[in-house]
Amino acid sequence: MDFTFTEDQYLFRDTVRELLADKCTPTAVRAAWENRSGRVDGLWGQLADMGVVGLTAPDAAGGLGLNEVDLVLLLEEAGRAALPEPLAEHTAVAVPTVADAAPDHPLLGPAAAGEITISVGLEQSPYVSGAEEAGALVLQHGDALHLVERADYTVESTRSVDESRRLGRVRWTPSTESSLSTDPALVARAFDRGALAAAAQCLGIAQQLLDLTVAYVQDRQQFGKPVGVNQAVKHHLANVGLAIEFARPVTYRAAWCVANEHPELTLEVSTAKALASDAVDLACRHALQCHGAIGYTVEYDLQLWLKRGWALAASWGDATWHRQRVADAVLGPTG
Amino acid sequence: MNVVVCVKQIPDPADPGELDPETKTLKRDSKLILDESDSYGVEMALQLVDAAGEGEVTLVSMAPNNEVGGLRTALAMGAASAVLVSDEALAGTDALGTAKVLAAAIGRTSPDLVLAATESSDGYTGTVPAQVAELLGLPSVTFAKEIAVDGGGVHVKRQTEDGYDSVECPMPCLVSVTAGVVEPRYPSFKGIMAAKSKPVDEVTVADLGIDAGSVGWAGGGQEIVGIEPAPARESGEVIEDEGDAHERIVAFLDELKVL
Repeated sequence: MDFTFTEDQYLFRDTVRELLADKCTPTAVRAAWENRSGRVDGLWGQLADMGVVGLTAPDAAGGLGLNEVDLVLLLEEAGRAALPEPLAEHTAVAVPTVADAAPDHPLLGPAAAGEITISVGLEQSPYVSGAEEAGALVLQHGDALHLVERADYTVESTRSVDESRRLGRVRWTPSTESSLSTDPALVARAFDRGALAAAAQCLGIAQQLLDLTVAYVQDRQQFGKPVGVNQAVKHHLANVGLAIEFARPVTYRAAWCVANEHPELTLEVSTAKALASDAVDLACRHALQCHGAIGYTVEYDLQLWLKRGWALAASWGDATWHRQRVADAVLGPTG
Repeated sequence: MNVVVCVKQIPDPADPGELDPETKTLKRDSKLILDESDSYGVEMALQLVDAAGEGEVTLVSMAPNNEVGGLRTALAMGAASAVLVSDEALAGTDALGTAKVLAAAIGRTSPDLVLAATESSDGYTGTVPAQVAELLGLPSVTFAKEIAVDGGGVHVKRQTEDGYDSVECPMPCLVSVTAGVVEPRYPSFKGIMAAKSKPVDEVTVADLGIDAGSVGWAGGGQEIVGIEPAPARESGEVIEDEGDAHERIVAFLDELKVL
């Protein structure tokens, strides 16, 4: 069996990379931090026109009917660009979850076209990202999932370290009308989809931090030579590269397992998220250290990826939580 | 309305280019991509066909090793088909030889309009579009910053140093477009998937009825005898001011005849 990505999947990635390099610049991300929505004007529509937003929606709803293997490279690009759009919540989690539970749901069409966004709130986190701007939310209540439209919930906003992530506590009341599924497996799968999406974004952020830092230490001179010639600096960055290269194939395997409903997908997703969280955490720390004092400043762009990296490393379960889940899966529950 | 767009597939500018020490030409054995300067012509053609409400966009390209990577990008943007001329006999072809090949390939279709970039991003001769027009016996307009089709002709705003000239030209004709004439669209995923099944007509020099001796190194009538690295820029003169620096500066500027 050939597990390599297809030429089309690489073309999707390259096309998204070009779009984001053009439209999701650090200047655009900074602007998003300060505007009302926390998003880049017009970018969601362009991603929808391209087919990214509706990639996981069924053909019948106007989507592409593709899966996590097709999406994982795009989520890496989202991390690389610090994309302040709900690609993970909407395309990676909410849309395929709604499609699994109710393939003919009337909101799938508008969601595939990017006319509304659907975010997601599961019980592992008290906060929902982008709830204020969303048209609907997929929310967990025990073993059940509900699809709650905007008029039926309120949001109490809170600040995130990454200011493009607009977090809030959601107040809502489960009802028969909002019920989407009572299948606990669907709740578990939604969480695994979210953890996988976070892992892929962590990889993109870590790679971007590494690339930025390698460029910086080759350019920054101290005592008449680039700081990058010092072995201590090289070691730091080599360790970051190593962590990324270890986490990347595991994340791709997790994507394949989720797409193919592999019996061990939970184990694979947790392994991926643990390694990707470790990689991005290491990348953040070493990027900051190798940049020196300038890396701490708000005016310098590095902070955009640092804060996104720290936020996502802890979201959808941090490395310790996922290691425990791997231990439970391999050794049995250890309490 | 049927539009042909001349597109060049070039080595990725993001990768450092490399010269072949034997042929003394740019290595083109890696994957080639659509020249960004041609993406404007493709977009312009798609918009004109959309506005006309009928017709299609055909790509014409010359590339080694039957390379179609760049053509697939343009097909994914919405072009309907492509003609690719690929032949070992074309190695070393100069601008005029390229124009002969493209003109012969375009001659296999019956376009109302031929679009081309002003110049390629790796060759920069800027002569091919006018040569193609001459070989096809078509009128040509260069440096178009805006194109509108009306009846049997095109209205072109032609970029000049001072602004633009308004030019009218009957069709069929050839127009070369500047970067920025339109904003090229990003291919959609559906477009990328559909591009695989769009026809690419691969032809050789013989298929076009061209004498192989009139193209390639043989037809170029030129030889690259050597390639040397550009000389390093010499450092400027440093003047220690001992009270007469202003006189030295004035003398220097006088020498340049800028005073």
